[in-house]
Formats: sequence, structure tokens, C-alpha cells
Amino acid sequence: MSGVLFDGFKRLRFENACFAYEAGSQPIFDDLTCDLPLGKNIFVAGQSGSGQSTFLKLLAVLVQPQSGHYYINDLDTTEMSFEEFLPIRLKIGYSFDFGGLIANRTLQENLILPLLYHKICAEEEAIERARKLAEHFSFVRQEHKRPAMVSGGLRKLICVLRAFILNPEMVVLDDPFTGVGADISRKIVRMIQERREAGDLKHVFLVSREETWVRELNCETLLISRNAVRYQEERAAS
Amino acid sequence: MSAQQDALERQSQLSFWTLIERLGRPVTNTFAYTWQVWLMIYLSFRAAFYDQAQGLRTVFGVVSAQIYFTGWQAMPLITVLALATGGIIILQSSLQLSLIGGASMIGNLLIVVVVREVGPLITALIVIARSGTAVASEIGNMRVNREIEALETMGINPLSYIVFPRILGGVISVLCLAFYFNVIALTGGFMVARFIKEIPFSFYMDSLAQAIAIEDVGLFFLKNGFSGFIIFVVACYQGLLVKQSPHEVPQVTTKAVVNSIIYVTTFNLAVTTLWYLNQLMRLGLVQ
Repeated sequence: MSGVLFDGFKRLRFENACFAYEAGSQPIFDDLTCDLPLGKNIFVAGQSGSGQSTFLKLLAVLVQPQSGHYYINDLDTTEMSFEEFLPIRLKIGYSFDFGGLIANRTLQENLILPLLYHKICAEEEAIERARKLAEHFSFVRQEHKRPAMVSGGLRKLICVLRAFILNPEMVVLDDPFTGVGADISRKIVRMIQERREAGDLKHVFLVSREETWVRELNCETLLISRNAVRYQEERAAS
Repeated sequence: MSAQQDALERQSQLSFWTLIERLGRPVTNTFAYTWQVWLMIYLSFRAAFYDQAQGLRTVFGVVSAQIYFTGWQAMPLITVLALATGGIIILQSSLQLSLIGGASMIGNLLIVVVVREVGPLITALIVIARSGTAVASEIGNMRVNREIEALETMGINPLSYIVFPRILGGVISVLCLAFYFNVIALTGGFMVARFIKEIPFSFYMDSLAQAIAIEDVGLFFLKNGFSGFIIFVVACYQGLLVKQSPHEVPQVTTKAVVNSIIYVTTFNLAVTTLWYLNQLMRLGLVQ
């Protein structure tokens, strides 16, 4: 069972998608049909509790709509097995708003896990990549500690950095700047911009409470509600 | 009057259907539970088979860790319990043995009680108490900390990375522990027999060799292998049932223990019953 041939994101589309966490509970998304803008930095906005994080999970195919479809290009992701979806999965980087690090691995091991698992590079090279990130983001002294032994901000940073470790074409970041500090946030923004300029990174979707960095990234806004998505081309929070 | 009768009739009909529903719900729940557990087993084995990226090294790492925690670390406890079990059986039966054939029956008694019945059951109960709880709470906590989702985001199938190696490691551990339990229990039995009846080692070994049959090997693998399988499948399944909250972790852990004990004892009872029915049929006592 091999994965699909995938040559980049050309279209993201929800079609009559409905999603609720519990069967019978109030749906978070109900009959949602929309095409999503690509090639931009998109700030996903909405009222508190309107399901921004859930929207990001649907976008990254971490959860599936109970009914309806989510198409990536012409591929219906709701019909695909884990193995079939894998080539697309490896092109999506995802960072959580909290948690998401493997508790029994060190920060360095968390960073290099996808590289080693998918045999992207040799162990020495993976460690070297992680070491460079540790130096750039100033956590060299903590890189051999486990997540429970470091601050929440550093855990968040590692989760964000891991989203970029496979050089994804699309990143989906759930509140990446909260708790990491201004210096680190600036470096994350710079990293996104550099990867964009290098042409590796093409599509960014993020939810954030930190408007400064959303502005810094020149994000455009995607306003979501239960059954509609409104795209505002003007810059977010400007 | 007729309205009252109608009301009574409706009530009796209602209580009849309520009764049917109450009786039926546990049955349908059990079927649904069994179906979901088998689905998880199928998906995890399928994922492990189809996973191109997951090399033997990754699987071996998790399997060996599971064997270390489940098998190696349980050995002191198993040693104490096995020695005590073997010794107690000989102590308790020494009087009865002299009534039904003396010391020559010692091998039969130990093979029947220790190897066929008590060994698999005590080993399974220890593994449930130590490792079933550990696996269920570990996976539950992984769910709460979003580690399972994190694995998915990295393109790592949690079923092949977490579930499959734990089941495999668990089955191997239970088989090894059960073998170790049998050896130590038979040693404990010999020590007590030697002490109270001065039975020589060669006589004891002869007695065991005459009592053990080739079917016992099959029975050993069947009972212990499936017990290990049941324990780790149930523990993994219950752990994965956690949705978001830490308060669910102790609940699923308790459920894992209760379900494992029920399934393992029921399975052992069923195998023993079929085994002895087969023996009776071979002897011509049952047609």
C-alpha cells in the first residue's frame, strides 16, 4: 500500500463539511463549503470558541469531518488511508497550542524523530541540524532534557521548530508565539520569512493571540464561523 | 375504568420493552466493544506490515523496552510467587498424595496444577497488575499530552509505532515469564518435597518427565500467548479511548484491569474445559 503521487498543494477545499467532537453534540462546523487561499500567510480568526484550533486540525487532516469532504488538490482526504495520505502529510508541518512533545524523549530526540523515522538523513546529520537550531534559538543547555524538565515556552518552541524540520511546503501553527518571548517570536517570524524566500515554504496558516507577530508576517485574514469562511485580502490587524 | 386499564397495559408494555432494552444493551455493548478491539488489532498489524518507514530497528527498540518493563522487571515478584506456589502445593497435598499413590503422583500433580492452570493464571494476573495498568495509563497520558496526534503530524502511524510493538513485546514477555514461573514453581515444589519427604532429585525429575505430555507444550503456548495478547490489546485499546482530559486516565486504567481479568480468566476456563472434554472423549468416557 503506497502513498499517492503528490507534487504540491494546488487546491484546498471543504465541501459540505460537518464536524463535532462528540456525536450528537452541537457541531463546530456545519455544512462548511469553501476554497482556501494558497501561497500566503493566513491568519485564521474568529470569535472565541468558534473553532479556530479545530479548523487548523481539519486543515492538517488530524481530524476528519464526520460528513462532507476535504479535498487537497483533487484528492478526497476523507477517503484516504494513513499510508496513502503519508506523502501529503510529510509536506504539512503542524504545531500544537500546548503539548505535542513525546514525553520520554529529549528535546533533541523530539526534533530529530521525524528525520530519523522517515530516513531523511543520517543520524549525525539530523543531530547537527538540531544542534544548529538549538544554537540559533538559544537552548543548547536544555537540548538533552526531557519536555517535563523545561519551561512551557521552550516546549512550545520545540513543537514549532519540529513543524519545520521536514522542510514542509505548508505549515499550520496553532498559537505559536504565546509564551515563547519576544526574541524567540522574532526569530520564528524571521525563519518563516527566510523559508518563504528560499521557496521551501509556500503556505502558512496560523492562529495567534499575538497581533504584533501576525502583523509582522503580513498575514491576511480568514474569518471562520460555523458554516462559513470569509477571506479578507487586507492585512490582518492593520 | 377503561382509561385506567389502558394506562396499566401501556405501563406493562413499557416495562417489558424497558426490560428487553436493559438486557440487550450490555449484549450490544459487548459486541461493539469486541468489534472495535478487533478493528484496532487489524489496523495496527496492517499498519505495521505496510509501514515502509518503520524499520525493524524502531520496532525492536519499543519491543525490547516492553520486554524489559514487563518481563525482566517482573522477575523478582514472579520468583517469590512461584516458589511459594510450588511449595504450598506440595505442602498441602503431601497428606492427600500418600492416600492416592504416594510420592509417585507428585509430577502429575505439579504438571496439572502449576503448568496447566496456576502458572498461566498467576502470570497473567501479575502482568495485568504491573504492565496492563502501566500501558493503559501511559497511552492515556500520551493522548492527553497530544503525543498521539504529534506522531500523526510527523507521519508516524500511532498504531504501528505504539500499539503493535506493545502487543508483540507483551506476548513475548508473558510467554517468557510463564516459562520462568513454571521452572521456579517446580523448583520450589522440589525443595519442599525434598525437605519433608526426602525425595531424591532424579526421582522428582522422572516423575515430572512421565507426567508432562507434548500437548502441554501446545497448551502452554495457547494459554500464555493468548493471555498476553488479551492483556496488551485491552490495555492499548482502553488507553486510546481517552479523549482529552487527565481525569479519564485512571478510569480507563481501572477498566483495562477489570476487562483483562474477566477475559483472561474466561479464556483460561474455556481452554481448560475444552481440554478436559477432549481428554474424556479420548478415554471414551464421553461420546
